[in-house]
Amino acid sequence: MVVQLAWASLRRHATRTLLAILGVAVAAAMLLDMVMMSTGLRESFRELLMSRGFQLRIAPRGTLPFDTDATITGVSGIVATLRMNPDIVTISPVLGSTIHVPIGDRTFTSATLGADPAIQGDYELLSGRDPIARDEIAVNDDFIRATGVRIGDSMRVATGYDPQLRTYSDSRTMVITGRVRFLYGAANQLATAMNLPTVQEMARLPDNASLFMIKVRDDVDVEEARAWIEAEVPRVSALSIATALEQVDQRLSYFRQLAFILGTVSLFVGFLLVTTLITVSVNERVGEITVMRALGVSKLHIVQQIVLEGVVITLSGAIAGLGLGLVTARYLNSILASFPGLPVAIDFFLFQPKAAWMSLGLLSLSGIAAGIYPAFRAASLPIATTLREEAIA
Amino acid sequence: MLAHLAVAFLLLQSPQHRTIAIDERLAQDAGIAIGDRLTVSARPGAPDGDTVIVSAILKRSADPAEIARSEYQVRMHLDHLQSVASYGDRVDRFAVATRGDSAIESALRDINAAAFGFEAHRSRDIAVGTSRTFQVVSRFHKAIGVITIVASAIFLLCIMLLKVEERRRDVAALRLMGISATTVVKGVVAEAALLALVGSVLGVGVGWFASQLINWYYQGLYRSPLYFSLITAEIVTFAVGLSLVLGIVAGFLASLRLVRTPPLTLFGR
Repeated sequence: MVVQLAWASLRRHATRTLLAILGVAVAAAMLLDMVMMSTGLRESFRELLMSRGFQLRIAPRGTLPFDTDATITGVSGIVATLRMNPDIVTISPVLGSTIHVPIGDRTFTSATLGADPAIQGDYELLSGRDPIARDEIAVNDDFIRATGVRIGDSMRVATGYDPQLRTYSDSRTMVITGRVRFLYGAANQLATAMNLPTVQEMARLPDNASLFMIKVRDDVDVEEARAWIEAEVPRVSALSIATALEQVDQRLSYFRQLAFILGTVSLFVGFLLVTTLITVSVNERVGEITVMRALGVSKLHIVQQIVLEGVVITLSGAIAGLGLGLVTARYLNSILASFPGLPVAIDFFLFQPKAAWMSLGLLSLSGIAAGIYPAFRAASLPIATTLREEAIA
Repeated sequence: MLAHLAVAFLLLQSPQHRTIAIDERLAQDAGIAIGDRLTVSARPGAPDGDTVIVSAILKRSADPAEIARSEYQVRMHLDHLQSVASYGDRVDRFAVATRGDSAIESALRDINAAAFGFEAHRSRDIAVGTSRTFQVVSRFHKAIGVITIVASAIFLLCIMLLKVEERRRDVAALRLMGISATTVVKGVVAEAALLALVGSVLGVGVGWFASQLINWYYQGLYRSPLYFSLITAEIVTFAVGLSLVLGIVAGFLASLRLVRTPPLTLFGR
């Protein structure tokens, strides 16, 4: 009975109901996007950092990995120190540099990473094989697209540039052995990988590394290992996933705050829209509601019917908004994916069922809240007076 | 004044020490004051650092590029930095001022033709190249703005529909008295325009207040004099114009629906 009456009332003003559902759908889409953004960025970054199982990173003191050109000297000494700790199971030193590749009349500049292919955690091999020998190099798809090279091709690679003579120095011929995808690579970034000693030799930094990636045993407290490293090697900063996420939170706090503000505004707009519609709808049906009360329909029954109308509008809008939200999230993510320097694998809008349930829950609550005031107002009308006024009208 | 005298005194006492300037955030965080002695080096923890005296504390500039990277800044004399960083007689770039904008093209041409080993760029081109972060954020804000406009349009249409439908009996009476449908539509549209105008003026006020709040909060958070939210005459004109257009369209559609219904039906007969 309650459901039938609520449904009849909504159908009586179909255009109005449809517009309200559309309005709630847009608000719900925005709310879902903002909930996704507030939690997704952090979760996406955490997943990325943990993707290869390295729980710790070591960078030059006071810096974040690859945040500056600073390098850590004495790699072999640091590795020897770290090996003294039985909790540390894998140590992967990485050196970043820049290479210049003249092809035809053009010169391409690319980032390069030197690491031990057997234990590295920076890239995944897509085809071919890892660069092992000192004249071998692996390249990413952006590099292949820009230069037109293929696996098996040879090319000249230089690390130095003499501005006075406008010539490249430390040049050598290298063979492309594989196609790789860099986990932390930015969008459209040309990048290559080599063996660590090759990059150290070419960059003339024979015992340097830009960072160390560390795996500790699973049953070990990562924070304890981090503190041990910083105590043993005071020249470096050791970063756990938690500390790295804190840094990311600080740098990208703007997006979380924006998500909170816009999410709150969306929820409020949806609430306001449903409240307005239900209030007007109740005002129009004052006579009808009073007649029902005069016939013996209980106050609770009236309240249930009106609240149900609000919930139906809100839930219908929320379900439509879920689809709309996923489409807009994809579009907004494509805009933010071109953020300079940010890994392309990072999703600002990461869909998590928790986010969808949270949005749906918040909207349902606002839908119920939106119907409560007009419902109680309608159910509390004095029957005789209202009937007389309505009859005169 | 006293601080400068103290620095002058220290310089007389130790003429071998060079002076540096640091930014106010570093001074605040590290508790450094004018006249303090510091050790600077190009590498963290290097034992061969150079002792310097802080001679000035600088106010941070309103540079958007500094926001994302919350770095401290130190200003040194060029030869001093070259020595500390073992940079030799090299610099990263030269800043060149020309006699007016008209001289830029010829200066670029002359430098690029004569110089061997470097290239001249317009400052404007470099600014465009280094402001990609803000271009991305700007595109993101525009996309959010479009979604907000769609939501506002639907909201406004809903409200206008309700406002007009509340007056079903008034409109029916007017129509039965012989008032034309055009006059009724004009009346409703005028009312909608007035509502939109009043609403947008209120919105400008709320927006101005929000803008002040945003600037106060983010200037404090990032310790920067940068304006994070700016309300310009163009933005106000666009917002008010858009509200008016949306209001008028919503009013027109709602009233059209009403005048197409027979007056007796509007009366519920």
